[in-house]
Amino acid sequence: MPKLKINQVVLQNNITGYLFVSPALVIIFIFGLFPIGNAVWMSLYRWRVRQGAFVGIKNYADVVGDWWGALSFCVGLTVLMLAYYVWNNAFNRLSERRWVAQLASAVVLIGTAFGLIAFGWSRMMQVGDVDYLHGLIYTVYYAFGTVPIQLALGLLLSYILYQNLFAKEWYRMIYFVPYITPVVASAVVFRQVFSSRESSIANQVVGLFGIEPLSWIAESESLINILFNLNLEGFWAGPSLAMVSVILFNIWTYTGYYTVVFLAGLGSIPGDLYEAAKVDGANDWHLFRRITLPLLSPVTFYLSVLGFIGTFKSFDSIYVMRDRFAKGTTDTASIVIFDSFRTDNNWSYAAAQAIILLLIILALTAVQRNVFERRVFYG
Amino acid sequence: MYLKDGCSMDDLAQRQQVRSRSGWGRRFVLHAILIFFAFVAIVPLYWALASSFMTLGETINRRWFPDVSKMVWVNPQWTTADGTTYTVPVPIHANYFEAWERGRFERYFLNSVIITFLTIVGMLLTSIPAAYAFAKIKFLGRDVLFSILLITLMVPESITLIPNFRIIRGDVLPLPLINTSAPYFELGGVSWVNKLPALTVPFIASAFSIFLLRQFFTTIPDELWEAARMDGAGHLRFLIQIATPIARPAITTVSLLTFIGSWNAFLWPLVVTTEERWRPIMVGLDAFMQDAGPELHLLMAGSMFAIVPILVVYFFTQKTFTEGVATSGLKG
Repeated sequence: MPKLKINQVVLQNNITGYLFVSPALVIIFIFGLFPIGNAVWMSLYRWRVRQGAFVGIKNYADVVGDWWGALSFCVGLTVLMLAYYVWNNAFNRLSERRWVAQLASAVVLIGTAFGLIAFGWSRMMQVGDVDYLHGLIYTVYYAFGTVPIQLALGLLLSYILYQNLFAKEWYRMIYFVPYITPVVASAVVFRQVFSSRESSIANQVVGLFGIEPLSWIAESESLINILFNLNLEGFWAGPSLAMVSVILFNIWTYTGYYTVVFLAGLGSIPGDLYEAAKVDGANDWHLFRRITLPLLSPVTFYLSVLGFIGTFKSFDSIYVMRDRFAKGTTDTASIVIFDSFRTDNNWSYAAAQAIILLLIILALTAVQRNVFERRVFYG
Repeated sequence: MYLKDGCSMDDLAQRQQVRSRSGWGRRFVLHAILIFFAFVAIVPLYWALASSFMTLGETINRRWFPDVSKMVWVNPQWTTADGTTYTVPVPIHANYFEAWERGRFERYFLNSVIITFLTIVGMLLTSIPAAYAFAKIKFLGRDVLFSILLITLMVPESITLIPNFRIIRGDVLPLPLINTSAPYFELGGVSWVNKLPALTVPFIASAFSIFLLRQFFTTIPDELWEAARMDGAGHLRFLIQIATPIARPAITTVSLLTFIGSWNAFLWPLVVTTEERWRPIMVGLDAFMQDAGPELHLLMAGSMFAIVPILVVYFFTQKTFTEGVATSGLKG
């Protein structure tokens, strides 16, 4: 009899459990899980609104263009990571000869890596999807133009706020406002802030420094070329002024978020540590460099991973801010994917592009974990 | 996990010391930096607000403050089908009235309110029991199902967008038709494009909400459930009468996050609304931006319709809002 009762309870638990989770699970399986497999499956067909013939990996080949180029590119990146390891190890060695040898080999490796990357990339650009590959470059500009600056500004502001100054809560509240403002609406506002009109805020600000009005969001010329009157082309020309405007907008939006998260991280550093260090005669810079930075490193790591994933996926703000006079220099990979989907109606191709982007994001996160998490101090 | 708002007495003493140690000059510099960044954070929004109260001429002439004497205030009127005329008792600025009318914000705003409301209610109805079950009921395959749930959290929207669009078009499985004029259900291979369910059904269950709520439900001690069971309560009754009231802070947080997500939604509604009927406010604002063109004063008034509800909620629920959003990760 007791045994039967236990079985009854188990059965009842199973029935209740499944009744409780099934409404949510049905929806999530249909709209969250099924699409993952379906996107992969779709990408193997010709699919313009309606399903067409099976084409295998043709969609991927169309994006990449040249598989050997892609291989050379990936090998180049791996060699670059290897160079990083060698370089880092070099400084840990005590023997001078090995130190020099390692540094020299690191330099050689870096050179090889850049050669392979440049060679692979040029092969891909010759036959691959130029829009998408450009989109990836713009995504890289976008990510590297925003995340490091946001981390630095967030750290600075949170460190100042942590000094417990007057009206600290008010500052925190104000810094958070750009982040909670709906991004589509603030992008609409920033389109006007960075508009090419002479009366736009951006032009009024640069006017204070005696600079002629610029076209900002409608300028396809690279910032470096404008600043130094150069004529660079390709990757090293850097982001266009339009892209810089989008980057500034993103920094404006997220700095407050970084500040708030850093501030929370600062709050969890025990005060005794500072106390002890001060007794030992440490100055402010020592405190910051030897206590705050290492103990904040988990937060910094978390924010940089989230930041890179976020910028690689970013769509809304760029979509609203894109201007046809920028000639596509703000179109990051996710914008290009959207265009393949909506404008060209090439669904399977868009799916293939999206999957490649996902693979890049995964690889990037893996690299961040392997290379930088070793420097994270979890206490 | 990083948030720790309250600080110990030691902490307080420590901070007090920092403050007394830092001199006037140092504090002045720090405040100057803080004020500069606060200024940068606020100026674009202030400018948008100020422009929304200007005439077109004032926006062209680089004005920073609207001229009060040039403002036009109106009491909007509307007439219902049976001929009664209503007048809004509070006068509103003419720009806002014009943007509201021309941008059809009346429709978009109402759509967004309906979509957001239905999404929150649906999310709570599905996620609370699911989170409770994942936390407190032992059933077969529970952990496997939960880890599948977590996987779906990591997949970016650009991957799921196209297959989901096919589902909404009714290409994958026959969709029930929810007739909006007379609420009944009908089966058939119909498309949900431009219909309300396309904007709500995919979001009425959220893996993220389940995850957050589950975290909270696991902190409820098992003794409480044992005691309730002794008194003859089942899981459902325990959930409704005891667990849900205890979990109110977590429920507020997920409701708030769902509200933000739903109100700010852009990419998905952009894809599934080709007509105005159920277009939500963000997509409507984007459309109005193309339409208003150089009429900046109207465009800024239009943006305010999208911004103000979120800001109002933010100022009223600041603490929950900041903590909830800060722990939930970045959106893009």
